[in-house]
Amino acid sequence: MRGEPVALEISINRETCMGSGNCSFWAPGVFDLDDDGIAFVVDIDAGPEEKIILAAQGCPTQAITLTRDGRPVE
Amino acid sequence: MTADEAAIAELYDNFDAGAQFEGSVAGNVRDPYPELARKRRESPVEGRTMTLFAGGAADGSEDVTQDAFWVYRYDDVSAVLRDNESFSSESVREMMGLVMGPYVMVGLDEPDHKRHRNLVAQAFRQRALQRWDGDLVVPIADQLLDRILARGTGEAELVRDFTYRLPVQVIAGILGLPPGDYPKFHKWALALINVTADPEEGIAASESLREYFADVCELRRKDPRDDVISDLVHAEVDGERLDEEEILSFCRLLLPAGAETTYRATGNFLFGLLSNPDQMAALMADPGLMTAAIEESIRWEPPLLIVSRRATRDVELGGVTIPAGADVVPSTGSACHDETRWGDTSEQFDIRREPQPHIAFGAGPHMCLGIHLARMEMRATVDRILTRLPNLRFDPDRAGTDPHIHGETFRSPTGLPVLFDA
Ligand code: HEM
Ligand code: SF4
Repeated sequence: MRGEPVALEISINRETCMGSGNCSFWAPGVFDLDDDGIAFVVDIDAGPEEKIILAAQGCPTQAITLTRDGRPVE
Repeated sequence: MTADEAAIAELYDNFDAGAQFEGSVAGNVRDPYPELARKRRESPVEGRTMTLFAGGAADGSEDVTQDAFWVYRYDDVSAVLRDNESFSSESVREMMGLVMGPYVMVGLDEPDHKRHRNLVAQAFRQRALQRWDGDLVVPIADQLLDRILARGTGEAELVRDFTYRLPVQVIAGILGLPPGDYPKFHKWALALINVTADPEEGIAASESLREYFADVCELRRKDPRDDVISDLVHAEVDGERLDEEEILSFCRLLLPAGAETTYRATGNFLFGLLSNPDQMAALMADPGLMTAAIEESIRWEPPLLIVSRRATRDVELGGVTIPAGADVVPSTGSACHDETRWGDTSEQFDIRREPQPHIAFGAGPHMCLGIHLARMEMRATVDRILTRLPNLRFDPDRAGTDPHIHGETFRSPTGLPVLFDA
């Protein structure tokens, strides 16, 4: 691979998200809850990647999927 | 102090059921963790007959027992709690429903649970809670500390004087109960929290609370305020509303779910700091460590060590077949010490540990609704204690004390006898 490292991508499953808000605790600024109480990404650059990974691990329903270049990030 | 405040203080001063409760319900176990570690190694999913309350039947003649499959490892506990189709909350409903009504949220399955949770969740979101941090929690903490400082002795017992008293007051505050009602509310609340030790009184208190909350709902329906009961009676999502019985069950659930857990967790956090003075000093020097310190204390000594489920179908877990209809006990306490996640120092309290999500608040759709409130309460109160009681330390000479955290279902310190520079 050459050039810039490929950016992390976040996707949130709106069906399984149960609105705990735990993601915004682990990665404040990156995640927040919308008016329906479902998580969304506010700003993927607002926190370091390690925090985003913790947020995904801390999701009680595994509603957050992280990928890089189409491959899952654990 | 007003007459009402004095009445409440006296209520707590005289409250003795706590001692009874500790022995019979929490389980008189000092350190369950070595045994839990052995289970994780040798029998991570295990069918057991467990004595819930020795001599605990209504007439005291026999033990109350439960057959269940216990689950000890982090990954398995997490899998059970997330798979709410195979593992229903019916067993929780049976336990809690008797006291709090059949609509108690923690005992509901989908789709009822989701509908109920969506309607109550708004009031407990992180942003919604900001209104109570400085306006409610800090003043309650300061008032309790004023009382300790007014004695001028430079000593306190922080469980009796502080941690036990604060969370019920916080619940009263967020529900928006009129302060004139606090004395009777606290009386019922304490009886409800101690329902397992004294079922007759607990159930009577629950009924009194039901009637009382019904009156408050009526008032808030006509005249909404900035409080949770107003939020609940007016909550509407996609045309759905909570009916009266659901609200009355929910308000009562907040006492065991929100007050008991938090008082125990705050005690455990203080215990961790007091028994590790270097870590307390580090935290005071760098308040930026507070968030991690709170999570570590909840992981290290969760106030509640188990939850309950019932298998809806035959499920294979950890090489064991759990038959449909069997009760399942995920040991969140054991999972929080799993060495595959926290290494061979998993039994130690270490606020500088690499942060990592734990499972003391549960997982899956029933994950604790109060995570933000619990964290906010612990942060605000421990911050006030460390600020206002300088040079806080255990009192090594307090007669007859051997402070330690105990219990095997619920855990918290036997006491927190402390000295500070008055
Ligand atoms: C450190 C303190 C706390 C701990 C360790 C804790 C732990 C838990 C756990 C493990 C569950 C899941 C139960 C299950 O899956 O069957 C739960 C659920 C719940 N907790 Fe907490 N809790 C704490 C504080 C609070 C507070 C302050 C509140 C007040 C709002 C609260 C309200 C609830 C409610 C309403 C539920 C039921 C959620 C549902 O069924 O969807 N908890 N808690
Ligand atoms: S942690 Fe998961 S369930 Fe909770 S709000 Fe975030 S995405 Fe939703």
